[in-house]
Amino acid sequence: MKIIIQGLLLAAVGGIMIMFVRGQHGVRMQASKRLAFFAFLVLNAYAVIRPDDTSTVAHWFGIGRGVDLLLYVLIVTFVFVVINFYLRLREGEQRVTELARAVALRDAELLNRDRGLL
Amino acid sequence: MASDNQDVWIIMPVFDEEKVVAGVVEHVLATFTHVVCVDDGSTDASAQEILGTGAHLVRHPINMGQGAALQTGLRYALDRPGAQFFVTFDADGQHRVEDVAAMLEVVRAGAADVVLGSRFLGQRSETMPWLKRAVLRTVVALSPTARRLKLTDAHNGLRVFNRAAAGGLRITQNGMAHASEIAAVLARSPWRVTECPVTVLYTDYSRSKGQSLINGINILFEVSLARRGKR
Repeated sequence: MKIIIQGLLLAAVGGIMIMFVRGQHGVRMQASKRLAFFAFLVLNAYAVIRPDDTSTVAHWFGIGRGVDLLLYVLIVTFVFVVINFYLRLREGEQRVTELARAVALRDAELLNRDRGLL
Repeated sequence: MASDNQDVWIIMPVFDEEKVVAGVVEHVLATFTHVVCVDDGSTDASAQEILGTGAHLVRHPINMGQGAALQTGLRYALDRPGAQFFVTFDADGQHRVEDVAAMLEVVRAGAADVVLGSRFLGQRSETMPWLKRAVLRTVVALSPTARRLKLTDAHNGLRVFNRAAAGGLRITQNGMAHASEIAAVLARSPWRVTECPVTVLYTDYSRSKGQSLINGINILFEVSLARRGKR
């Protein structure tokens, strides 16, 4: 039983990696990310209200306690968020680069013309 | 006919090289008329040093990395009338102008669209520290694109492009991963790519400025997480 949840969690981590590394970042992806986040919130609220139920679910998968199950899910979510942020940052960096390059090239035309090189 | 090199642009990314950049630029200017230095937000007097030479200067308002500087330099040079050949050249003085001339001959003759410098072709790499040689060899062995192009050296700063190839290049890896990115783009492109043996002068200065081997880990990470799409 334990092997199932281990397999599932590892598959989730692997899937997230692959999705981000080669996936398209369309509207659909954006929406599904938000839905997943919403579902995560609802599940959290549920786990707070009825902690024993998480243990029941955990037992299905052969995990000792519900807290452990939550921890596993949390780790997967954390990886997801980190990669998401990393890609966001890269995208922002790309835009800043384009902007800075445009500024640099415009200034360079003026500067090098003044220096008599153009 | 091809002797005055008016159609050649040397692109030199510069970051904190105030001690050597002027000397390197003057040396290159003796052979090539057109040199554009891209000062990548240096915090030292590199820009002033470049202004004292006859090289064109483009200044990044902020530091963005060598890949970004190369792309900016390429854009600047592509906009210059009459520019046909584009050479990337490191500012720390590790490349030899003679090697550029030999590489240019290959592109001018139409034998290739892109010529990459290689430290491993020929017998001229004695100046390279053995550990660095071993690591660079490993990088090539692990890189599928380098193998497809049969490259022997994936991270050499000396490259010659003709106009079509230079215009088609879009370097999006701002950091040091751009070398792998260029190799990957070339592997997918229709351009003919060859290598030329070059000598890299490992002086104490270039050694101290050069990429540390540990940075290879960063490069591997950035390349593997880069979007594989077309962007």
